[in-house]
Amino acid sequence: MHIPDGFIDAKTAIATGVIATVGLGIALTSVRRTVPSCRIPLIGLAAAFVFAAQMLNFPVAGGTSGHLIGAVLVTVLLGPNAAVLVLSAVLILQCFMFADGGVTALGANIFNMALIAPSVGYGFYTAIRRIAGDGLRSRLFATAFASWCSTVAASIVCAGQLALSGTAAWGVCFTVMTGVHMLIGIGEAFITTLVVAGVARVRPELFFERSQSDLHPRYGELTVYGLLVSLGLCVFVAPFACGWPDGLEKVAAALGFEYKATQSPVFGSPFPEYAVPAVKSAAVSTVIAGCIGIVVAFVLAYLLARFLTPQGKSGAGLKSEDDSCHAAPSA
Amino acid sequence: MQRHLLNPYQHRQSPIHRFPAAVKLAGAVFFVFAVVLLPHSAWPAYAMCGAALVLVAALSRIPAIQLAGKLLLVEPFAIGIAILSLVQKNGLHVFADMLVKSTLCLFCMVLLSGTTRFTDILGVLRHCRIPPLLVTTLALMHRYLFLLVEETERMLRARKSRTFLRGRLFAWRSSATVISHLFVRSSERAERIYSAMCARGWRT
Amino acid sequence: MNALEIANLSYRYPDGTQALRNLTFSVKEGEIVGVIGPNGAGKSTLFLHLNGLLPQRFGEEETVRVFGLPVSEPNLDEIRAAVGLLFQDPDDQLFCPTVREDVAFGPSQMGISDAEISARVTKALQQVGLSEFEDRTPHHLSRGEKRRICLAGVLACNARILVLDEPTSDLDPMTKRDFRALLRTIESTKMISTHDLEFVAELCSRVILLDKGKIVADGPSLELLSDQSLMIAHGLEVPHIIRHLHPH
Repeated sequence: MHIPDGFIDAKTAIATGVIATVGLGIALTSVRRTVPSCRIPLIGLAAAFVFAAQMLNFPVAGGTSGHLIGAVLVTVLLGPNAAVLVLSAVLILQCFMFADGGVTALGANIFNMALIAPSVGYGFYTAIRRIAGDGLRSRLFATAFASWCSTVAASIVCAGQLALSGTAAWGVCFTVMTGVHMLIGIGEAFITTLVVAGVARVRPELFFERSQSDLHPRYGELTVYGLLVSLGLCVFVAPFACGWPDGLEKVAAALGFEYKATQSPVFGSPFPEYAVPAVKSAAVSTVIAGCIGIVVAFVLAYLLARFLTPQGKSGAGLKSEDDSCHAAPSA
Repeated sequence: MQRHLLNPYQHRQSPIHRFPAAVKLAGAVFFVFAVVLLPHSAWPAYAMCGAALVLVAALSRIPAIQLAGKLLLVEPFAIGIAILSLVQKNGLHVFADMLVKSTLCLFCMVLLSGTTRFTDILGVLRHCRIPPLLVTTLALMHRYLFLLVEETERMLRARKSRTFLRGRLFAWRSSATVISHLFVRSSERAERIYSAMCARGWRT
Repeated sequence: MNALEIANLSYRYPDGTQALRNLTFSVKEGEIVGVIGPNGAGKSTLFLHLNGLLPQRFGEEETVRVFGLPVSEPNLDEIRAAVGLLFQDPDDQLFCPTVREDVAFGPSQMGISDAEISARVTKALQQVGLSEFEDRTPHHLSRGEKRRICLAGVLACNARILVLDEPTSDLDPMTKRDFRALLRTIESTKMISTHDLEFVAELCSRVILLDKGKIVADGPSLELLSDQSLMIAHGLEVPHIIRHLHPH
């Protein structure tokens, strides 16, 4: 989902850049405050790990292959704040050293893959674990569904950014991107859950667990992440989803900007006339399709978790050790 | 595994290689922003930018074949969006613009990564007062990246030589197992790195 | 004053296994001691105690002293500068982006001036024979070069005791020879744990044999290493070089 240069326009680039900077800044402050010093090297290594893991090919069909994105994987292993930092670092390196993802699009890419994806993923992950309990099966179920949701959420916001830039018409862009990523999300969920199951088998104490002592500060950060996610949805998705073409035009006019279909590169036209579908029926069918997708993903996630946890292990409470740093001497 | 992009920096000597990293980085970023801000269909401007890049490429003495190879590697995602862009009013113009702009910017970044060491860029970031935690993360990531990729390849080879069953499901399971082992090993290595840092006096 | 004094050192892993049992020995300044033993003997665990990486929390008993200083909280900075620990895997220790930064890491934690740090880095790289390597990235170095850079890193801290954990485990014979020659040129107390008994025979004047966390033998290297029954009883064997010199 790396957006190259030239695919989003200046206003979107600036908006996403600002939000991404704020989000990353919050993550940095939070990590400095909450992560013990013995785990700082782990953040760097985790970034290298994500990069390496993304290079593995997972054959899909007829020669094509997919690969892991890793947002929820890092979130489950290191927690949401560290995940933001890890994923941002990976995106920055990919942008500058591997020309993967544009410089002007760095803000958007960080916002989509390093802020939206882990935040949304963590939200669903925590929610399901709170409902389904502490066992391995519940963790895998939560991981699977959260991975799917995070992929789809990121793709929706990405579609919004592209549409806002005039790169593609919203109707087409949203349908195609979200549809494709609903499928990609299944692959992502499958791989992430398999990996989490693998880690749980070997070193279950490596998972991120919110320790009892720091419940209070956490709400502040969760609120901020929630706000950022909501902001993203409002700015990049809501105008299209709610069919506000007139509203946006009025705002643009009020702010004194020229609103031309083809001339200005800065404020491109997001609403070419013939591509805007009849809002009501399109909206309804979209919502129905979305709901079906969510239900299917939910069920598949549960089935996968059941498949991966043999009988008798679903109720095992996995308590992680306390967060002290232990040197691992090899004799 | 896709390793083709893994070693962009060419250990060569050229006027471009010798430029300070800060200049190259700033120049590249400025160039990219300028290209993106160019008006639609500004073909003369596009041509000038292209010419400038070709000049820099020639001065940098990076083999043209290597450059071309990197430029032609297109992401399916980018192709997909490009095709979608055709489905709108003025679609063809938008498509052409996007294609040219993104190629120019890609060319610029490929030149940057081919002539600049990441460690020098890290130095620039430190100078610009980028938060130390982010710079440390980038530094450690870059340092251990190649090592982890090598470990991954070794594990994959070991798995392949022990697996007699074919099929997508087994391939997925074994790749997933490799990834999980990679994380555990990376986590253990991170603990040893912390010990090594403390052994030379690191205090937070 | 001895360089190192260990008195009744015991350690138990978090999972309950007893790693070290009542170790007592001392090392004089300038001695070169080889620490040998089968796998799982506790060699690495012992070394981690020499600069306070283990135990995680210090208790009342001062069981380890470095140049008279007990290894505990207030003395850790000084001790970690004095004890230069080289880890088994040089990749764990070479964590900075360039060689220069890595060798400078130790001194830069000591609060000394930039000029002094630069001088130490230059001198340390000269000592290990890699002066032109300042701008190289660690990843592209050979194993032998990496080990030398790690050595430079602790020399830059003005370490007075070098503690080397399996320094030659992955080196080819020629690199091993060069490394041995390099170690001979550095005048400081040395403790070397290794499976390479030839290396021990050629470099160390004294050997401590560790097995299951206990000191089984401690004495002149030639005497210990040629004791066939002792070697075999603890999963080792008499090195060829000694067999050649003292055919029985």
